[in-house]
Amino acid sequence: MSNTQDRVHLQARKVSFSWDDTPLHWVPGDPFAAHTINVLHLLLPAGERWFVHVYRQVLPLIRDERLREDVIGFIGQEAMHSQAHDEVLPHLKELGLDPTPYTAQIDWFFEKLLGDRTLPPGRARRWWLMERVATIAAIEHYTAFLGNWVLNAEELDRRGADPTMLDLLRWHGAEEVEHRSVAFELFMHVDGGYRRRVRTWALAFATLVFLWQRGARFFMENDPTLVDGRASFKDFYVRGRRGVLPGTGDMLRSIPRYLSRSYHPSQEGCTEQAVAYLAQSPAALAAEKGAA
Amino acid sequence: MPKPLTVAVVAGAALLARRAMRRRIRISPLWPMPALEEPVSGRPRSRALRLLVAGRAEVAEGVVQLRLEGRDLPRWEPGAHLDLVLPSGLVRQYSLCGDPADTSSYTVATRLVEDGRGGSREVHEQLAEGMEIEVRGPRNRFPLVEAESYVFVAGGIGITPVLPMLRALPASADWRLLYCGRSRESMPFVAELEKLDRVTVVAGMPDLDALEVPEGAAVYCCGPEGLMAAVEERFPQVRLERFTPRAAAPGGAFELELRRSGRTLTVPADSTVLAAVRAELPNTLYSCEQGFCGTCQQRVLEGEVDHRDELLTDGERGDSMLICVSRARSERLVLDM
Repeated sequence: MSNTQDRVHLQARKVSFSWDDTPLHWVPGDPFAAHTINVLHLLLPAGERWFVHVYRQVLPLIRDERLREDVIGFIGQEAMHSQAHDEVLPHLKELGLDPTPYTAQIDWFFEKLLGDRTLPPGRARRWWLMERVATIAAIEHYTAFLGNWVLNAEELDRRGADPTMLDLLRWHGAEEVEHRSVAFELFMHVDGGYRRRVRTWALAFATLVFLWQRGARFFMENDPTLVDGRASFKDFYVRGRRGVLPGTGDMLRSIPRYLSRSYHPSQEGCTEQAVAYLAQSPAALAAEKGAA
Repeated sequence: MPKPLTVAVVAGAALLARRAMRRRIRISPLWPMPALEEPVSGRPRSRALRLLVAGRAEVAEGVVQLRLEGRDLPRWEPGAHLDLVLPSGLVRQYSLCGDPADTSSYTVATRLVEDGRGGSREVHEQLAEGMEIEVRGPRNRFPLVEAESYVFVAGGIGITPVLPMLRALPASADWRLLYCGRSRESMPFVAELEKLDRVTVVAGMPDLDALEVPEGAAVYCCGPEGLMAAVEERFPQVRLERFTPRAAAPGGAFELELRRSGRTLTVPADSTVLAAVRAELPNTLYSCEQGFCGTCQQRVLEGEVDHRDELLTDGERGDSMLICVSRARSERLVLDM
């Protein structure tokens, strides 16, 4: 089931970033682009903690040793992603943009709404676990999409975006590309139902769009340096054309790919590029030196 | 075909609903999602800081006080301590004894322990003004609770966590302090404290039977092992601050009981808790094996833990551990697994 060509041993890297010199508008002169990407820092700490929480419960159900190993590596990487993005939040607060009202809601969303419900053991509990495993597979389709995008987003370099933030995004993006098959393979291994895949994709996609536009508007409206900050879909579309944000067309084209019955994440992105970035990412290098 | 009237009523209702929603969102932009009362994301974890040793003074015989300077330092509560990462890599805890409101410097005091584990010797001999040092924290496992009255017993350098507590108590609070030490010269801050009439200073072992502890009083004790044991024997409710392990050399072998699965095993000195547990329970969760991802966190039921991770918060350290790196401080550890 796994794609043997692309197989790499997944391992968490202990990275750390120093945010002292990162400005609020880390894409110079383009607060909307910076804030749209900043929404990641709002969603990921709670979201990836939730991934880990769910996967801890699935681990005993895995009957394939290699997949098990992958999932263990996946859990460690996701836990680090969650922590790394979490550390940006106090910095945003220092810069005068307190994200807590929004993150408290995201915490509620993942810890309560999508948390462990009081369900009788057996079918109900398994159903809820499988729904969440399928949802994670759908979300991971988009994290791999975004990871692949940010690895290739040369426009951000040309515009002089903050190198620390770019390193965080690309380290994270590269690991997402590196482990992009795990969530899907796990879902296919423990359940694999096509109807469930479509249903959870629809919910995950709608929720992501809802939370993302909400987060971008939240940042734009509360940014202390903007007089009349607004976010609109047009802004997003225009920046997608310029290459500062993911292109709308690319995003739409990725939908039928996930829904295709022959989908496998290894068709998206390129492991070699991800591994090559990790081999020269300042944060990943420092992590390797620390571990040695 | 629906009647025109129905269409008009539905359209009108939709418009009204839209207007109401828009107004609602304008008033509170984050409507309608609920929020977690105690948010988890964005709480700064105790990160490592590099501080400058800006002042060094001998405040009593064998006691050196360090002032460590930085900027925008995390705030702390009285009773909190700081992890100092010494030049050799040793990590030692020292109580903060300065002003909690000061966010530009931390103050710690340490006594030279001749036959100690080497930490205090390093502080005394190698840390000089102008050097940089890495610290972690601050963390508090000796917090000041609300009580009708307070009794503090401090022995020698054990005065350091108590000092900020005394300053933090309101003027109306009912408290007393028994401060003892080998000799007056070896007791830091004794001159400052002696001026207060609620303080009793004793050179030598104090008479604990003479110590009056009113009903409902919170008792705090920090000092040498003998003193703490004696106080604990008389007042079992006492809160203790202990910086040296009670027994068992850290890093050595210890016994591990897995209560839920009813197994007892030995963790050898050259193996981790995780490895020993995995030999018995292959489905045990773990991932990074270096103490940063948090996957292997387990609940501790009994025993003292030598925490070697950098992830868990104080609250979490109270009743859990990361079994991939942390070990036992006591001879026996009981885990809920």
